[in-house]
Amino acid sequence: MKKCLCVAIVAFLFLGGAAHAVDLWQRLKKAIEPKEEQKSGTDQTPSKLTEGLDVSGVSSALIFSQEEETAIGRQAAGNLLGAAPLVNDAKLQKYVNSVGRWVASQSERPDLKWHFGVIDSDDINAFAAPGGYIFVTKGLYRVLQSESDLAGVLAHEVGHVINKHHLKILQQTWLLDTGGKILAEKFDQYDIIKRLIGDGAEIFARALDKNAEYEADRVAVVLSARAGYDPFGLPTVLQDIGHVSRDDSSIRLLFKTHPHPDDRLAQLDQAVGQRLDGVKGQTLEKRLYRPRW
Amino acid sequence: MIMARMTLALLVVAGLATGLARAEESGTALKAVEIKGEPFRDAERIGSLKAGNKVEILKRQAGWFQIKSANGSGWVRMLSIRRGEARKRTVDAEGILGLASGRAGTGRVVATTGIRGLSEEDLKTAKFNEKELKKTESFAVTAREAQEFAAQGKLAAQKVEYLPVPKAGKEKRWWWPQ
Repeated sequence: MKKCLCVAIVAFLFLGGAAHAVDLWQRLKKAIEPKEEQKSGTDQTPSKLTEGLDVSGVSSALIFSQEEETAIGRQAAGNLLGAAPLVNDAKLQKYVNSVGRWVASQSERPDLKWHFGVIDSDDINAFAAPGGYIFVTKGLYRVLQSESDLAGVLAHEVGHVINKHHLKILQQTWLLDTGGKILAEKFDQYDIIKRLIGDGAEIFARALDKNAEYEADRVAVVLSARAGYDPFGLPTVLQDIGHVSRDDSSIRLLFKTHPHPDDRLAQLDQAVGQRLDGVKGQTLEKRLYRPRW
Repeated sequence: MIMARMTLALLVVAGLATGLARAEESGTALKAVEIKGEPFRDAERIGSLKAGNKVEILKRQAGWFQIKSANGSGWVRMLSIRRGEARKRTVDAEGILGLASGRAGTGRVVATTGIRGLSEEDLKTAKFNEKELKKTESFAVTAREAQEFAAQGKLAAQKVEYLPVPKAGKEKRWWWPQ
């Protein structure tokens, strides 16, 4: 699993072009050096460090440029689409991009090239990849009852992207676990390219720390509100999926990678309190695009 | 095809029935919470719920649910309520139907033919799909287009501050076996 991630991330480095890769290679090396010292001084086990990393408030600087971030996200998105293609409905896809782009415009990264899509899976889930690639499944879309519900779901994923949650996980895993090893073993670039087989969208099957999810939930209600929507779209969807049994196969992965909806509601409740009392917004139930699946 | 239509028709009927049955939907308080006479912070307090108390949800208005309960009828903050019974319901072992609405007053029709899941294994073994990726990118909407889309829906951007991180509280989950 970690090797897989490592291969994936190394693979990504080469997507942006060889010159960038070398450049980034130097940065990775630099980033690793102090970690090595730290490791020799303490008795840390890398595997434990990478388990359930809390990336919500991580201060360690990211070494990826926006261009590299997009290349990483593009690769991850392409892999996810290999598991489930887009739903073949151009109107739906355009609609989801309109809602998503409007919500993303309210964030502090309005200039990213945001992409949204509905993928053809009956599972109930949504995914965010670095660089602004965001997908919801058909199964989740079917739960939605209004445009503000959709906005809330997309805004949660936007929250992951603007806070670079997955990027942090990738970088930390790489640095803490496999980065040092790879450098020590002196793989040359060709070796690494050769290892670029796995594809795989494992990054999406991986749980972020629960605090990262709570953070994305808080971002979701705020971005929804900023966009003029009823801020309670995401909580409404959480209440809907809270109904589904944990054993239901269609939601297994979502529940495995996220705190239970009840916990997410409770956390949101604490954060929101009376703060959104004066905020007005629209649900736009009628405008929700309802495909004939 | 005819079969599929029939199935759909049956599901529609089932959906409507569910919708009616759910006109008053049940819910459970996630924590102790005040019942207000109106959906406002300063509204008169007419009762209170304890964690685990059952309620009937009548409707939602912004961040509030209108409820009926043994402890009084009025408005409570929606984030302190979970819709539905405690976690008992299994929608379908195979996930065939996705899930039923459960939203107050709305029926839901879910018709599905082939079931396509997206398991951890599916993700691990996924192969890069350039064609679908390019297709995804072709649907991109510019910031300006999004703005027009928002204007059509009379969505007005407004200033709202990010929410603070709540203090780490060790809330105990009474509804979940430890």
